[in-house]
Amino acid sequence: MPDTADILRLESLQVHFPIQGGLFDHVLGRPAGAVRAVDGIDLNIGRGEIVALVGESGSGKTTVGRVITKLAQPTGGRMLFEGRDMTSVQGSSALRPYRHRVQMIFQDAYQALNPRHTVFDVVAEPLRSLRLVGNASQLTERVSEALASAGLNPPGDFFARFPHELSGGQRQRVVIAGALAVRPGLIVADEPVSMLDVSIRAQILQVLVALRDKHNMALLFITHDLPLAWLIADKIAVLYLGKLVEIGSADDITFNPRHPYTVALRNATPQVGANAGRAELRGLQGEVPSAARVPKGCRFHPRCPLAFDRCKQEEPPAIEVGPQHMSACWLAA
Amino acid sequence: MTSSSQEKPPLLDVKGLSVDYGLKGVPSRAIDSVSFALRAGEAVGLVGESGSGKTTTAMAIAGLLSPNARVSKGEVRYRGEQLPIDDDASMRPHRWSETSVVFQGAMNALNPVHRIIKQIAEPCMLKLGMSRGEATARARELLELVGIPADRGSAYPHELSGGMRQRVMIAMALACRPSIIIGDEPTTALDVITQAQILKLLGELRSRLGLALILITHDLSVVAECCDRVMIMYAGRIVEDGTVAEIFAQPKHPYTRLLIESIPNPASGKKMIRPIPGDPPNLVNRPSGCAFHPRCPSVMAVCATEVPSLDQFGRGRVACHLYRSSQEDKVAVHA
Amino acid sequence: MSESTVRYSQRGGARAMKGFLRQFLSYGGAQVGLVCLVFFLVVAPIPNILVGPLQTAINATGDFLAPPSGEHLLGTDEVGRDVLNLVVHGARISLTIALLATVISLIVGTTVGITAGYYGGRVDVWLMRLTDFFFVMPSFVLALVITPVVLEVMGRGGEILGFRPSPFVILVVIGLTSWAFVARIVRSQTLSLKERTFIDRARVAGSSNFSIMVRHILPNLVPQIAANGALVVAGAIYVETSLSFLGLGDPLQPSWGTLLSLAQRAGAASAGAWWYLGAPGVCVLTVSLSFVLIGNALDDTFNPRRRVIP
Repeated sequence: MPDTADILRLESLQVHFPIQGGLFDHVLGRPAGAVRAVDGIDLNIGRGEIVALVGESGSGKTTVGRVITKLAQPTGGRMLFEGRDMTSVQGSSALRPYRHRVQMIFQDAYQALNPRHTVFDVVAEPLRSLRLVGNASQLTERVSEALASAGLNPPGDFFARFPHELSGGQRQRVVIAGALAVRPGLIVADEPVSMLDVSIRAQILQVLVALRDKHNMALLFITHDLPLAWLIADKIAVLYLGKLVEIGSADDITFNPRHPYTVALRNATPQVGANAGRAELRGLQGEVPSAARVPKGCRFHPRCPLAFDRCKQEEPPAIEVGPQHMSACWLAA
Repeated sequence: MTSSSQEKPPLLDVKGLSVDYGLKGVPSRAIDSVSFALRAGEAVGLVGESGSGKTTTAMAIAGLLSPNARVSKGEVRYRGEQLPIDDDASMRPHRWSETSVVFQGAMNALNPVHRIIKQIAEPCMLKLGMSRGEATARARELLELVGIPADRGSAYPHELSGGMRQRVMIAMALACRPSIIIGDEPTTALDVITQAQILKLLGELRSRLGLALILITHDLSVVAECCDRVMIMYAGRIVEDGTVAEIFAQPKHPYTRLLIESIPNPASGKKMIRPIPGDPPNLVNRPSGCAFHPRCPSVMAVCATEVPSLDQFGRGRVACHLYRSSQEDKVAVHA
Repeated sequence: MSESTVRYSQRGGARAMKGFLRQFLSYGGAQVGLVCLVFFLVVAPIPNILVGPLQTAINATGDFLAPPSGEHLLGTDEVGRDVLNLVVHGARISLTIALLATVISLIVGTTVGITAGYYGGRVDVWLMRLTDFFFVMPSFVLALVITPVVLEVMGRGGEILGFRPSPFVILVVIGLTSWAFVARIVRSQTLSLKERTFIDRARVAGSSNFSIMVRHILPNLVPQIAANGALVVAGAIYVETSLSFLGLGDPLQPSWGTLLSLAQRAGAASAGAWWYLGAPGVCVLTVSLSFVLIGNALDDTFNPRRRVIP
């Protein structure tokens, strides 16, 4: 039964980037390959829910975020936002209502801000582009409100500043203010704190959690850091080579992982605490294969310490291992 | 530690080191009176945020300060002998053969048009006076040492993954058989699993070759995994120094405590973290007194005026007015 | 979009401008270039006040090819006209042609370059083929082709925008042949700018392609456009001089190139009339050199190769 409480549903979403074959391949009629960046994922985000998408570089997590924010076009599957199919909607005017509801926060706030625009211009840009305000005083009011919600007080002090005049934490707050100025229903945050100093991270996380608590905004939090995902998210989805390997509540994934990859990820994460001491980091061997050459069967089997014959032949489906907890592993069957 | 250092000099002894940068003609202090000793085979983590001076400290020790930096005070002794860290020419024979550095961005540090084997062999030929054949043999040996099959040496940097490139950087750092390796955020650009592999490799090399390690990082959890001791830096000064076990069990400096509390830790079970208010200070306008006082929850009147010295406290050192036993009349004001 | 003015930014903008000027003026080349340029820019618009109306063979007052004297500071030409008078009037024509041609070149070049770089794909391929075509087009050949067309349209005596047919043709020809250089630079900059995250942010913020090009990419191209614009002016002055020298100029609106051409035809070189050849020659050299110096200083200011970061 379709759950109407979900703000966003991804159904076997697929993004393949074609590999440009050389002239030689073309003449010989060799098929050009494809990078299977996202290879069929199903994910639901509820209203006001914080979902963490965890994966290493090359797992396709950023591409998922770009598809949701309409910066990349999926090659297969469907994307439903508030029940409407948004898969093939394109063009800045057709997307206006969608942009109003879905916004994005970027990893590198310095890169995400035009060096020649003031803070006011940055935050006002979506309000102007999406025609959400009627006059200048309304615009100033909305910009002030957004800056204040992002923790930049008093807002007026920041209007005329340029990005290079701000600290790292303040820049990320400006990006956040720009995203929440339109009062969206969903914000995609792509590694929003990984470039920030440790002492600043908690401030930014607090702002993001407050958005959900106050305005019921849903958040897709993309990260490579499992403990961070546990801290902020209600639900964690673990991505490996373009496919979700495990999905479940933050506590289930952290304390009771059922997929060998999630276990490896957890074990590789350095632990803080008196008990941590010298625990051997039981990492995995090898590295993530290229998304242009996805292994047959379970895509994790070449690195999996528990792989057996079936894993090399058949790709495991998502198997329910607990309430709201799925693992794509034959061991879970 | 103090008793052992009286018997024979420590491997590396940094005393009252201060480094200034000339910013638009105005000298600004990047590190201020940094003192510590490193024993042979010891692994020390140097933790701080951007602008805390951790990289400047390491570059000063390695004699790799940029031309606009100046050592204004203090000295660095290697096995009791003073290093000419301020003098580019006389530092040259010491560089890489006593202290060598593994940098963060392996892609930028490697020349994209040369095979990696050549890039590893080059310092062997230049520094150790080896012939081409000897140097290539040494380079193959080094590659095996860092866990890369020697045959992969014919690859170009772009053909290797990030983790592999970082291994190449480590091999290059080991070329001249140094006794101290400085890792400047060696795993920051890497994934968690690759990071674990590299940290494990550094640990293994340390025990096999008896290397001392100075690990510069902003990530306390990395230090927790692979160091014996940790020094916390804030605004150019060491604010706390102690063993990893002590610092994580009983952090003394309020900054250390807040830093540890701001790391998500599922093992603790607590879900919310307490943010540290405010921004880290920059080089140019540093707060008076204790540089942390504007952000400190336990700030006292004295903190704004007097710089706390880094004093012995228990088995470690801490620079905080809270731990100066002489002052009994202090009143903690909680923000 | 409706009110795209940058408000509230006077404080920050003024500060940025001040920093820029301080940096720019710290280059010796920029100072020399600016002083020369300001001199010519002051002289060029007011020739009638400085040296009286343009002299012709009819109202010429001096001897033939008289060397510099108190009466004629730069001597006279073969029909007795004052060379100073001609050179000052020539400044107006030369600079106007060069600057207008540069404006054409910058507008066309920037538009083509941004469009090609931003959209990529087929648009890029075709626009760049067009650019290549104009890039290799010799200006003299183009002038020879266009001149009869213009003469046909406007007649031998007509004027367009205050220009007689030949200077107008030169203006158009320089504009058409120099924009390709600008387009290539703008395209390559756009290619790297459009990968920057702030372009993604603008798209998520709902900005249209046009708005992204105008409000995000263009302002970041200003340094390149300004620095190369100065070089385009320098080039335009040379091309104008060469075309006029080759006889495409108009004696009724003499530019420096026209003067050089007239001097050449009057046998100034063999007659030892160095003032007649030298005066316009030095002017051409000084003005284009000052534009090159300013262009290089702008380039250095905008892309400091040696920026000291601790």
